[in-house]
Order: sequence, then structure tokens, then C-alpha cells
Amino acid sequence: MSQSTVVTTAPEPKLWAGGRSPFNVSYGKMMIWFFLLSDALTFGALLIAYGTTRFFSTVWPDPNQVFKSFPFMGESNLPLLFVSLMTFILIMSSVTMVLAVHAGHYGDKKNVAKWLLWTIIGGICFLACQAWEWTHLHGECISAWSADPAQITHGLWGSYTDVHIPVNEFRHFFSPHSEAVQHVLNNDPLTAMQATHNFFNYFFTITGFHGGHVTSGVIFNILILVNTVNGVYERRGHYEMIEKIGLYWHFVDLVWVFVFTCFYLL
Amino acid sequence: MSSHAQSNNIQHLYEGDQSKLYSGVMSHHSDVASPESKSQVKKIWKVFWILLVITLAEVVVGMLFSYSLPGWAKAIFFLSLTILKAGYIVSVFMHLGDEFKGFIATVLIPLFLFVWFIIAFLADGGFWLRMNDQSPARQTIQHVAK
Repeated sequence: MSQSTVVTTAPEPKLWAGGRSPFNVSYGKMMIWFFLLSDALTFGALLIAYGTTRFFSTVWPDPNQVFKSFPFMGESNLPLLFVSLMTFILIMSSVTMVLAVHAGHYGDKKNVAKWLLWTIIGGICFLACQAWEWTHLHGECISAWSADPAQITHGLWGSYTDVHIPVNEFRHFFSPHSEAVQHVLNNDPLTAMQATHNFFNYFFTITGFHGGHVTSGVIFNILILVNTVNGVYERRGHYEMIEKIGLYWHFVDLVWVFVFTCFYLL
Repeated sequence: MSSHAQSNNIQHLYEGDQSKLYSGVMSHHSDVASPESKSQVKKIWKVFWILLVITLAEVVVGMLFSYSLPGWAKAIFFLSLTILKAGYIVSVFMHLGDEFKGFIATVLIPLFLFVWFIIAFLADGGFWLRMNDQSPARQTIQHVAK
């Protein structure tokens, strides 16, 4: 059955009278929306926990200092540039996904496959950027204040748990422009250390959880690309699966919009 | 896929592929080169440019004014642009704007829990800062701030 055979003969009744889905959506599509709703609550809980911790901290690392690096640019001060690139990649992959969904509405198999492939490439690029950023930040956290490598137990993925860590190990994450922040670093370094610890724990947890979503999104996209190319959806008569995975993919983009604001801008 | 609003025999549709139960708003098109299709693609790209411009505006403000603007002004600026971006993604990219009003409400209303979450938890954070932080450095800050 092809999509072109459909002709709606009579206007649909305004109120639901049975015999069809009341919201005009299939079971699967409604359920993916409800799943995304629950996932939104999970991400929301993580971000609100981050906000609460930030609100009860005297000082907080400055995103313009933490995220100022760009691959192959050495020590250049380029705040926000790299994350802008990541955001651009993810928005772009959202566009290619919606174009795949659009092609699916018209049963255009070739374009569905093409745009899905671009979406997968975008997702992999984003993950590669995140891998670089994680590695880089991990490296920023461990530096050799102790000559003995066995003693470098601090700063692993930003976990500062040793009270003997010198303040210069985490000073570079804070704003050099604020007199008040510098006061805390000089007079109460443990408060600043605790804030650094909390900041990185939330950062790696939340971006990691988001990265996990991107990873599974890429896997789903690969699965539906294989199905599309094999003609599974063509035989089924509709490309609704592209729509459902597309909803998931846009949701991942949506979460990144909020992560971007909370961690990099505010 | 067909519309089943007028079908007399729908029982078989409840078994197996349930997606046939709906006559989706966007599912009965055939001509990908039609003006309707082209205007939809145009809209997608328009939203892409809007999202890009908003993001660039955020980045420029974040780079140039992050030390000069007061915290509350940054929060209002960035959060309102974030909500605007989220609105475009959900309504156009996720096609929620094309669904039935009842379905839109079903998805969006639970999210209003966040209004309470955010107010309650951030207020709690602020409260604990006031209660807990009696450190000498904090008092120095308050002194410096004055």
C-alpha cells in the first residue's frame, strides 16, 4: 500500500467519536513523546541539582576560563568557540534529521537514506568533539604538583578530594577579574576547591548523560538507515519509524540547548 | 497509509501495526517536488537560520559582556533565548505545532512542574548559602563588596 492512495473523503468529526486515535497519533509516536517527557524530567532534575549547588556556593568556576581552549590552538584564549562549534554541529544534524523525516512523509527512500547518513555523520562529529573536550578538561585538572606520580590522586575527572592540593592547581578555573573571587581563593581556598569539585562532577555527569543519549541516538539512526536501505519501511508503507527516532534525536538537541546555557553561558 | 475515520472494519488494525490507526497530519503526501513540500523544506531551513543567529547572539554576548553585565541581566537574556530556541525545535523540528491541541497540552502541561522545581530548589540553594557560609573569607567578600 503506498501513501499516494489515500483520499480523505469526508471531513473528520471535530470531537472524538471512536474508531481512530483521539489525538490522531499512533501508539508508538505517543509513547515516544511520553518517554521524552520522562527523560526531560530526568535531565531537568540533574540541571536543577546543578543550579542548587551553584546557588549555595560562595564562588563558582568561570566558564570563560574553563572552556577557553580550541584543538590545535595551544594556549590561545578562545572562550566559547569550541562549544559553539559543537552546538552548530548538533543543530545542523537536527536539520538533516528533520529533512529525513520530511522525505519519509513523501516516501522518498533515497533522500531519507541520504539525510540519515548526514545525521549520523553529524552525531559522530559531535561525539568526537565531546571526547576531545573531556580529555582536555581532564588534563587541565591533573597537573604535576606532586613529583611522585603515585601521589597524583587528585583532579581525576575534576574530583578534588585532597585538602593538601595547592590553590594554584585550580586557580585557573576562576575569574581573574573579580576581586571577591580572588579573595576567596587567597583566604579560603578549600571553599574554592569544593566548588571546583562540584562543578566538574556536575559537568561530567550531565554532559556524560547527554553524550550517552547522543551515542544511542547514533546507534538508532544507523539501525533505521539499514532498514531504510533494505526497503523495510517501503514495504511497510510508511516511514513512521524515522519520525519516532527523529523525535528522540531532536530531543537530544533540545537538551544540549539547555546544557549549553547552564554550563557555558551563565 | 489510509485514513480510518470512516472505516467500518477497524478491528484488524488493533492487531499488529498500530501506526495504521492514525491518519497522521503529514502522512498522506506523494509528490516530493510539490509546492507544499518545498514550502516545508523552506520553513525548516528558515528555522535553522533563526537558531544559528540566536546561538551566535548568545556566544557574542557571552564572550564580550560576561564580565560587564550583572548576573540577573545575563540570566534573563540567556534563558529567554534558550526557551525561544527550545520552542522552535519542539514546534517545527519535532512537529508538535502540527499535532492536535489536546496532544500539545498533554505533552506540555506536565513540564510546568519545572516552574515550581526551579523556584523551590534555587531558593533552597540560596538559603543554605546564607545559613552555612560563615567563613572569614565570605565576610571579607561582603566587606569588599561594600
